[in-house]
Amino acid sequence: MLLFTANVHAHPQDEDIILDIEEGQLKLQSSVIDSEYQAALKRKRQRKLASMSWQQKFSLYVKAGFEHIIPKGLDHILFILGLFFSSLVLASLLWQVTAFTLAHSITLGVASLGIVAVPAHIVEPLIALSIVWIAVENCIFKQASKWRSLVVFGFGLLHGLGFAAVLSEYGLPKNDLIPSLLAFNIGVELGQISIILAAFVLTYFIQKKVWYRRWVQIPVSIFIAAVGVFWFIERTVL
Amino acid sequence: MKIINTQFKTSLLALSVVAGLGACSKQADTEQNQSSTPSSVQSEQSSAATEVSNPFFTPYKTDFEIPPFSRIKDEHYMPAFVKGMDEHLAEIDAIVKNPEPATFANTVEELERTGKLLVKVQRVFFNLAGSNTNPQLQELQRELSPLLSAHYDKVSLNEDLFKRIETVYQVRDTLSLTAEQTKFLEDTRKGFVRSGALLTEEQKAEITKVNSQLSELTTEYGQNLLAETNGFELILDKADLAGLSDGIIQAAANSAKQKMDGAESEEDKAKYKDKYVFTPHRSSMYPFLTESSRRDLREKLYNAYIYRGDNNNENDNKIVAAKIAQLRAQRAKIMGYETHAHFVLEERMVKTPEGVYDLLMQLWNPALNRAKQEVADMQAVVDAEGHDFTIAAWDWWQYAEKVRKAKYDLDEASLKPYLSLDNVLKGVFDTSNKLWGLTFTELHDIDVYHPDARVWEVKDKDGSHLGVFIGDYFTRSNKRGGAWMSSFKGQSNLDKVERPVVVNVCNFPGPVGDAPALLSFENVTTLFHEFGHALHGLLTNTTYQSMSGTSGPRDFTEFPAQIMEHWASEPEILKTFATHYETGEAIPDALIAKLLKASKFNQGFSNTEYLAASLLDMDWHTLTADDELQDTAKFEKASMEKIGLIGEISPRYRSTYFSHIFAGGYASGYYSYVHSAVLDSDGFAAFKETGNVFDPELAQKLRTHIYEKGSTEEAMTLYKKFRGREPQIEALLKVRGLDGSTD
Repeated sequence: MLLFTANVHAHPQDEDIILDIEEGQLKLQSSVIDSEYQAALKRKRQRKLASMSWQQKFSLYVKAGFEHIIPKGLDHILFILGLFFSSLVLASLLWQVTAFTLAHSITLGVASLGIVAVPAHIVEPLIALSIVWIAVENCIFKQASKWRSLVVFGFGLLHGLGFAAVLSEYGLPKNDLIPSLLAFNIGVELGQISIILAAFVLTYFIQKKVWYRRWVQIPVSIFIAAVGVFWFIERTVL
Repeated sequence: MKIINTQFKTSLLALSVVAGLGACSKQADTEQNQSSTPSSVQSEQSSAATEVSNPFFTPYKTDFEIPPFSRIKDEHYMPAFVKGMDEHLAEIDAIVKNPEPATFANTVEELERTGKLLVKVQRVFFNLAGSNTNPQLQELQRELSPLLSAHYDKVSLNEDLFKRIETVYQVRDTLSLTAEQTKFLEDTRKGFVRSGALLTEEQKAEITKVNSQLSELTTEYGQNLLAETNGFELILDKADLAGLSDGIIQAAANSAKQKMDGAESEEDKAKYKDKYVFTPHRSSMYPFLTESSRRDLREKLYNAYIYRGDNNNENDNKIVAAKIAQLRAQRAKIMGYETHAHFVLEERMVKTPEGVYDLLMQLWNPALNRAKQEVADMQAVVDAEGHDFTIAAWDWWQYAEKVRKAKYDLDEASLKPYLSLDNVLKGVFDTSNKLWGLTFTELHDIDVYHPDARVWEVKDKDGSHLGVFIGDYFTRSNKRGGAWMSSFKGQSNLDKVERPVVVNVCNFPGPVGDAPALLSFENVTTLFHEFGHALHGLLTNTTYQSMSGTSGPRDFTEFPAQIMEHWASEPEILKTFATHYETGEAIPDALIAKLLKASKFNQGFSNTEYLAASLLDMDWHTLTADDELQDTAKFEKASMEKIGLIGEISPRYRSTYFSHIFAGGYASGYYSYVHSAVLDSDGFAAFKETGNVFDPELAQKLRTHIYEKGSTEEAMTLYKKFRGREPQIEALLKVRGLDGSTD
């Protein structure tokens, strides 16, 4: 079949030479091709989103929010663990988590809606520092200080900006923006709660031991602080 | 740019300004860098592993048999081509060696079943080499070109195969074949005959010799022209930029910077430092000619363009062109034809050179008269500006633009918000829905070759599956310029019902910022045009794939595409899809009126330059074998004087840079677009005559006789079945404003 020419084009391939002459040859540059590809990928997601019902979008964004904690959000996981290892008093932990959640919901919202914009090269190192701060505090104070919730609230604002950055890379649908934002946030909360639950289950039998603080709480906090310092350096210097 | 491409657009290498600017603002010479498009990420595999996992070697097993793009790696192509060619030859050998006497079924129909693997890989490869290429694919293209042409020669020059076909052909009247089968048999045989099957051994040897000389000369012609085009640059200082807009200046600065980065020596680098570079590529030249107020520089760049291949240097094409024409005439004589044009046109809808000349000359005077009026209009502007010069060829773009602004006052920017890509797609889908009840469902989860390529399932009125339509609309740096239609899977009813996978590739500017992608009206007609080709590929319903879709003669196959453009500019339809992307408000009537009026703008120029080139093409290819080798400069001069071309216009392509006919496949075929335009204007007039542009009865005829039939009947027969009579030229003259009605 198709014996004499490959009859698959309405405008055949022999036009290639004509195009090269009249228009210039293609200049292939991998960085340009890559960034075009990424932009196209985002458009593709937007188109897919636009075609979904709000329920579909809602579950998609819950999932996305969750994934941005587990497994993608290692820095947020460490921050949450930092909170967990600050106190054995449930009420104190709850206050901190609530403050954190409230704060990052606020900044995630306002940043996603385009009301504020803070560049990533400022936010990202600060997030790393917030992890260090929390972990160091854990080592210094046996019980979380009274104003700790306030500090955590401030850090939450930062982390919200970080969530907003990943979310904007992921893309938000133009329709149903608020429900999707809410869904993403719910996903993030579910991720956080899972972390705390897991940590609680793992440490359940050793929490009351006398050596808990010395051999668990402090070493883990030191480790978290060390990772935070490393990230800070990585995000500023490297 | 706009000036040049108002009507012949895509097919004549439409170059949108934006796409063009993109092309000249890209960094030079990075061909050796490997592209890193995620879809073509290389995986290191041993050849044994490739053999096992090569997606071409097994059925696709995907939805609608769309190629599994993400599984196809660059290293899969060559083995698939090699195996495909081997299999093809083996299958043909089996037909030839069949001990049974030749029958329609065991020879002609069986031949249709051969080469499936080759075609399968060919479709994917050549599509992606055009729309999503990388250095590996470009290299493969160079390697494959001689291999494939040698392969297809082996098939078309297979004497034993031809003997069996001829045996069947001789008894065709006794076989009670269907009309489609008869045409298939005739076309198949004719393909062999036109490759020289009926010639003596001596003649065949001569043809082979001529063909190889021609192939060398056409390559040389193209190389010379490439060197000439790339060899000229207008390097300007900041002081030379008068009149140019910011975007154009920026592009020229980028192009200088790239040249500087690419330069080897310090001396070369210094040449481009803080300069602005313009080249004779259309994307660079037309904006300059339109905007620059430096008449001397316009002249310089314009002349650089029109003297390409005519500079009496080592890249001169004058003798090459004359030799090509002479060899073609000689080949035609051996084949038993008077001239090359006779040989080519036998296969076209307009059967003879006389027919082509007749058509072109009917349009010539109306176009030329209109062009002379346009010159007068421009001269009036020159005079009014207080200048003391006569309009010359290099002034045309600039003053035509001034006339356009004064007369038509159409601001493209005010139009664009009504023409978002999504709205225009809705418009074209709605049009085919109103005509034939087709529906389009976008599929978001298909594995496709680039995230900008969108996929729709196309269903018929009764809900049955018709095919898959892929639309790849935005320009990108690894996509060839222009716009085209192609397919990833053909249509056939031979052994089972196979429905096609069709693609449209365009070069529209992508979205900027938060706004959706907004098109120019020229983009809109391009979209409708290519969609017309796509419908030809989607609605087709023939037994044999070789005869399906767009397989017909070139002066006919533009018709189903071009007729779609008419619906794009119907006010009634425009109002339904052209709604403002922010406010949702429909396009105002006043804007439509301006738009339609502006469509007649500069038609004198674009028709005259196109017709002059078409006539030049015909003159070259109606030389006989006995004519002596022509002096190209004299020949062209005489050819243009004969028709009275005015000095303010050059033929769209002059003999030394007419790559379509001397390097490409358009010899004595450049007229095709205007022939198809006669058909589309006349054809659409039929709808207008009914008073309903969606007239159901006529729409059905258009579908049955044009879009479904492929090349299963003579093109003129098909047209007459649709229209009820032969085509007439009047509608075209009216559409283009060449009937004296344009003020």
